[in-house]
Amino acid sequence: MSALAPAGAKQTAIVSGGRRKVHTIMPDGSEMMEEFELQTDQLVVRKRRGKTVLGRELDWVYEVGLPPQRITIANETLAESGANPVFCRLDHIDRFEFRVRNLPYAKHNYSVTVDAAERKIVVRTANKKYYKCIAIEDMDRAGLPLDEHALAWEHENNTLIVQYRKPTQLIAAERQAAAARQKLGAADSDAPAKGEGDVQCPQQ
Amino acid sequence: MAQASGVKVQDVKDITRIERIGAHSHIRGLGLDDALEARLVSQGMVGQANARKAAGVILQMIRDGKIAGRAVLIAGQPGTGKTAIAMGMAQALGADTPFTTIAASEIFSLEMNKTEALTQAFRRSIGVRIKEETEIIEGEVVEIEIDRPAAGAAATAGKTGKLTLKTTEMETVYDLGQKMIDSLTKEKVQSGDVITIDKATGRISVLGRSFARSRDYDAMGASTKFVQCPEGELQKRKEVVHVVSLHEVDVINSRTQGFLALFSGDTGEIKSEVREQIDQKVAEWREEGKAEIVPGVLFIDEVHMLDIECFSFLNRALESDLAPVLVVATNRGITRIRGTNYKSPHGIPIDLLDRLLIISTTPYSDKEVKQILRIRCEEEDVEMTDDALALLTKVGMETSLRYAIHMIIASALVCAKRKGTQVDVEDIKRVYTLFVDVKRSTQFLQEYQSEFMFNEIQPADADMTDAQV
Repeated sequence: MSALAPAGAKQTAIVSGGRRKVHTIMPDGSEMMEEFELQTDQLVVRKRRGKTVLGRELDWVYEVGLPPQRITIANETLAESGANPVFCRLDHIDRFEFRVRNLPYAKHNYSVTVDAAERKIVVRTANKKYYKCIAIEDMDRAGLPLDEHALAWEHENNTLIVQYRKPTQLIAAERQAAAARQKLGAADSDAPAKGEGDVQCPQQ
Repeated sequence: MAQASGVKVQDVKDITRIERIGAHSHIRGLGLDDALEARLVSQGMVGQANARKAAGVILQMIRDGKIAGRAVLIAGQPGTGKTAIAMGMAQALGADTPFTTIAASEIFSLEMNKTEALTQAFRRSIGVRIKEETEIIEGEVVEIEIDRPAAGAAATAGKTGKLTLKTTEMETVYDLGQKMIDSLTKEKVQSGDVITIDKATGRISVLGRSFARSRDYDAMGASTKFVQCPEGELQKRKEVVHVVSLHEVDVINSRTQGFLALFSGDTGEIKSEVREQIDQKVAEWREEGKAEIVPGVLFIDEVHMLDIECFSFLNRALESDLAPVLVVATNRGITRIRGTNYKSPHGIPIDLLDRLLIISTTPYSDKEVKQILRIRCEEEDVEMTDDALALLTKVGMETSLRYAIHMIIASALVCAKRKGTQVDVEDIKRVYTLFVDVKRSTQFLQEYQSEFMFNEIQPADADMTDAQV
């Protein structure tokens, strides 16, 4: 199995809404959900959630993609206002892409660097409005060092786009994982899930 | 003009949230010194030196935390400070030790059986100190903006607000919910404060004021602490040690969608398998050194209202090694045990009484009554002349302490009506004629009983002397 799904993890896949959804339950009881576009096999969403020591279920943490936008403020406490910058990661076959929307400040404000020791990409603003340490979990899992030369960034349409070229080892590993995914069927069935709506619902 | 200023005062009250005054809100501890000797007047406690000393010994026992399943009975006449002693114990133990207060009649419900309610109360009183990782927001307040709905708008619309926080590197705007607005106003958070907010619970703690604001010409107390503005990102993960009760852990694990049950309040019955599982897990954590048991106190007021089933359940439950220290209070003498025809001291069966350490409270002397009334005057913000206080003490001794305490605020209102500043003997006298105490009321009833409802037909053997008047 890959770095994402260690030995002992249970995986199930279904196809719905034009996406192949892969659900993984890790040996420690935490869950991971991945969604791939059917046509392009591109990763759209990857989210994880675990449990606290006391057994309380935590919220989904989005590694890739955006959480659904909700208007209600959970249990009446507080939520980030819609006027804030929104961070999300979108993947391409050859590069990681990070987008920060709602950043109206001019281009000279931003500085994007690699902190190799902390294994993070650091986004700073000169006017002290936005700051973010971006960790690339895929690189951490593969144990690959971060390289300043693989980094590129752009600012247009109120959006800061940070791109990081994937190393060749990672691209190869992902190609292998994609092939394995094609074989991965629906729960308890050997037939691979190909099209939409072919999930078997075994009777009790 | 006067009206305008009145409106303003109301606004201010809304912001600072004055705490409501309860019957025991003046009590801040047991009023003992380090040698467990009762000070004459301390922490709102007056008199009852022996009972307080005994409670102090129990407290030491709880703090050591080694002994489980001990029970204490506080017995005494009405108005001799039983609940006050229990409150004092709760205050002295501090916020980290679970202290559950219930009235015995609370456990009788159609939705939950009696033993389940008692078990839940027991498990609420046992804490587990454990390390958990939580997400917190730490930053300096740049701006708080709270919009109140205009007068006349639906009250349900509620307030809305915005909070801007910053670190040395960034700034974020948050939309506030009703609960967060309430706790922000309660903590009196203002711009320039450095605060942390627990994301899951919404708990706010003010760390201090930012150094950048140290030159502001604010009226600052000597206790104002200055801290650096936090660095880096606003949201951080932090390990916190906190105490949760076994009942909370039960609730989290008894439902699939976990934590939602905590907020809905309705927990219903919890399966015994879940409880066994939790106990096992807690034992595991203890062995691994991850968690620590914090035995707390369960206080059952008016314990004579429990019935025989509950008492036998208590007998058994006290023997478990995960039992809290049980404190019960009663004001009954020899009375019927609920659910039986047997009489017993305090309405508690002898076998349970045998397991209890009994603390008895005695009626207050006139000096003590005077002291308590003085403390209550202070708590209720009422100024009183010495003569009036002496009269009130006399009333308190002749009727009851509770009646005298009730008279404080009533006489203060009478005093305000005549535009006085200090409650005088006149006001006390007036209130004494306006409101009757139990004795006078009983006397009145005895005299005029026949003129009340349903007294038209007297039983044949009744004494008719009253009716002939």
